[in-house]
Amino acid sequence: MNQHALAGIASDTPDTPPFKKVLIANRGEIACRVIRTLNEMAIGSVAIYHRVEANAVHAQMADEAIEITGDTPVAAHLDVAQIIAAAKKTGADAIHPGYGFLSENAAFAKAVSDAGIAFIGPDAATIQLMGDKISARNFAVEHGVPVAPSVISSGDLDAFAAAASEIGFPILIKAAAGGGGKGMSIVHSADQIMEAAKIASSEAERYFGDGRIYAELYVEKPRHIEVQVLGDGQGGAIHLFERECSIQRRFQKIVEEAPAVNLAPELREAICESAVQLARAAAYKNAGTVEFILGADGRYFFLEMNTRLQVEHPVTEMITGIDLVRAQIDIAAGKGLPLAQSDVEIHGHSIECRICAEDPNHDFMPETGQLRYIGVPEAPWLRFENALGPNQKVTADFDPMLAKLVVYGADRDDAIALGIDALDELTLLGVTTNTDYLARVLDHPAFREGQLHTGFVALHGDDLAEAEPEGAVCDAVLIAAALGFREFQQLAFDIPEPYASIGGWRN
Amino acid sequence: MTFKITLGGKEHDVRIVRRRPHLVVSIDGREHEISGTGTSDEGYQEIAIAGHPISFARAFSNDTMLVRMDGRTFETAMVDPRSNAEGGGDRHDVVRAPMPGAVVQVHRQGGDEVKRGETIVTIESMKLQTALAAPRDGRIAELARQEGQTFEKGEVLVRMEPLVENK
Repeated sequence: MNQHALAGIASDTPDTPPFKKVLIANRGEIACRVIRTLNEMAIGSVAIYHRVEANAVHAQMADEAIEITGDTPVAAHLDVAQIIAAAKKTGADAIHPGYGFLSENAAFAKAVSDAGIAFIGPDAATIQLMGDKISARNFAVEHGVPVAPSVISSGDLDAFAAAASEIGFPILIKAAAGGGGKGMSIVHSADQIMEAAKIASSEAERYFGDGRIYAELYVEKPRHIEVQVLGDGQGGAIHLFERECSIQRRFQKIVEEAPAVNLAPELREAICESAVQLARAAAYKNAGTVEFILGADGRYFFLEMNTRLQVEHPVTEMITGIDLVRAQIDIAAGKGLPLAQSDVEIHGHSIECRICAEDPNHDFMPETGQLRYIGVPEAPWLRFENALGPNQKVTADFDPMLAKLVVYGADRDDAIALGIDALDELTLLGVTTNTDYLARVLDHPAFREGQLHTGFVALHGDDLAEAEPEGAVCDAVLIAAALGFREFQQLAFDIPEPYASIGGWRN
Repeated sequence: MTFKITLGGKEHDVRIVRRRPHLVVSIDGREHEISGTGTSDEGYQEIAIAGHPISFARAFSNDTMLVRMDGRTFETAMVDPRSNAEGGGDRHDVVRAPMPGAVVQVHRQGGDEVKRGETIVTIESMKLQTALAAPRDGRIAELARQEGQTFEKGEVLVRMEPLVENK
């Protein structure tokens, strides 16, 4: 398995580590990613695990691992009291929340700092402010960051539907709390609003315990551009440029890159400046991401701010050479920002592909199973962020993302070519994944030309469909398969008894 | 003996023509000489077909054999000669669970007449809700799961029966 250090990232001569020991309140690839930097910084690491993942790679990789219990593995990973108890028991002086789970839970951040442990992230008040789409949006408006016209439900869905239809069409309806595309839908006419509102409201209630929903102008062919920011908590903030995350399915990102493609320098400047403005106004502390949608006309609108490390943070690390986890730890320890804005530069181009257990031929339905064979390409220009063990079981207990394949090229064309090569070489057998689909995305002329928007997957659905194997490939695959079947092997190679002593049973 | 192996939804005839000096296999009548056969194991393999080296990886997963070759993963299966006789019926007669999960809402009940594409149940798996629709016009013969009940991938959730026309 490829676990090489971050490519192109300079590591300072280690001085006194800012913390003795950090507990990672997470699992999977992101826990492994954090542990790697902790190791480089000579900081101890503590993993947490539920019994179903006792042999998990993140638990083995950490210096110490503490079992947490719960009715479900996810419930265990959301158990604030147990996690803080684990930190105290092991003497961890800081907690890194990763992404997902408790990473954007204000109560967790507060409980951690109340326990006298450093939370590697913003303070509870900032998480609360940005975690609610409505308060975040109001905050953005107050501080001059552009937002799209919108309507919020007050519980009366009829009134909501009437007000939402005033915005004009199409509109986007989604949960007011939380993110991740749950219950989100695009509505094209007034008669569809009620049904979409009901679904969004019930999903919002189910997932976030908060039924409030929200409708806003839907920008057609929108691009998802987000800006990585770092804040010192004192009103100082810098950006590490933007990422483009326009390739999505089910409203979730599958390919991300940095920098964004064909972005005019003035527009890049404006978007990044808006993000920094927001971070400064919030006296933001630690790493965060300000998400925008960008229309074809160059108008951009604030979407939300994620108050944590993003899944796709590696592409920013690749082009800026900054280890974001290290920066997070240093900021949490009060060391301030790692560099001045003028020292942040873009070098080359990076693309991340999210390898998910899902079936692109069946509407990207999640898949489960067991990985029987794993073959991973290794090169200095790629990172395969994962926590896959031998015969890894993929269950419905956790998110279907298995790994992230991150490549770095001299320019975008180079990164695309390297990405396709790496995806071709990546072999995960036993669970259906989107690996081949991602290679087709990168290889698509519209992707190569940079004609990206969040409808890319739907628009190019036919082109991106898997072709039937034919001709020589078909025959070679059948031969490869046949040679592996016991029945075929017996007939092809097993030699009747009288001849068996003559020699090898293989050509 | 001819083996039947499926690939990409099609069944192919795979026959051993000769075993010596090199293995010769016929695929749907096209003969290929295999000069290097690799090992019988799963995992990474190198073989040679008509002298051309070919590398691939192979692994079993339940009833299927997965082959990764040329940057693509292919799913193949050996057809058991006995299963052909059983028939198995029209695949449009049942709705199977596309993934493990639970039924969150039942829209139509057993005995209901439905049109093709009409939602019968909404299921949830990995926080994802999916509407399962009728595969064709007909009547629901059986709804195998009710709200709140769980199921595994591939389980039959709905059985369909044809509408009896009153003429």
